[in-house]
Amino acid sequence: MAMHGPTDRTAAGPRSREHANGVAVAAFLAAGIGSLAMGLFVVLNEADIYSAPSLYGPAGGVSGRTTFAVIVWLIAWALLHFRMRGRQFDSRRYYLIALVLTGLGILMTYPPLWELL
Amino acid sequence: MLFTERSIWTMIHGIGLGGTALMALAAVLFAMYLMRRSHLRATEGEDVSGPVAALMWFTAAALWLTALVGTYIVFPPYRAAAPEGTTLLAQYPRTMLLADPETAWLHTFAMETKEHLPWIAAMLATAVAFAAWRYRSEFFRDPRIYRMATILTVICLAAVAYVSLLGVFINKVAPLE
Repeated sequence: MAMHGPTDRTAAGPRSREHANGVAVAAFLAAGIGSLAMGLFVVLNEADIYSAPSLYGPAGGVSGRTTFAVIVWLIAWALLHFRMRGRQFDSRRYYLIALVLTGLGILMTYPPLWELL
Repeated sequence: MLFTERSIWTMIHGIGLGGTALMALAAVLFAMYLMRRSHLRATEGEDVSGPVAALMWFTAAALWLTALVGTYIVFPPYRAAAPEGTTLLAQYPRTMLLADPETAWLHTFAMETKEHLPWIAAMLATAVAFAAWRYRSEFFRDPRIYRMATILTVICLAAVAYVSLLGVFINKVAPLE
């Protein structure tokens, strides 16, 4: 994902920095990454490739999967936020990526899909 | 006692928090529509983007609480394994559902979906709330931010409505009592 191309980013002046869309792009992209992470942890668990450890015994593996996905989301959000804030991006492409990631994440939590693994 | 502690927590999770989140999501979508319309028409009036952002934070908080209470308080007694030789399975909903082929899908499909999807909804709602809070009135003026936030909120609403319905089915057949 090239974030430095001239079509992706424009220098924002002091006033426009406040309204530059970088913060929104980062938040939406991170949500997509978090969704995908959730889906991946579920699919990897169902395929017996990787099981996130249970962090709370009575709740079982779901406590590990959801916590790990939330951690991935927060880290991705922090990194993207500090990298993209104050910058103006051609948001259409990034929003499309965020929607695809969100869709994939949701799809991967769909139990009938696991039977195909 | 009319309601057991487990039953009360189920109601807090499903009706109290989940129901609140569902209604709040619908309110957010309506507020977003009204705000966008008023900005397009350049209607003069008090800027209420702050309260709308607060409503979005409230919605996100309700979703996080629903997911947390569901995962850490309601789910453990649901999945508790029935002791060997137990024939009365009412206290062990997961075991009870899986024991009957006609109801097994309520665990293998419905509950498995409910375990993860609400967390995705909470992340999406938080992203939308953050953007609304950060950009205030610009959130409704910028067509791309507004459109993306609307799409994510619609996904959120659909996901929460879907898992709520699954929760109703599960609770109807194997309530936590």
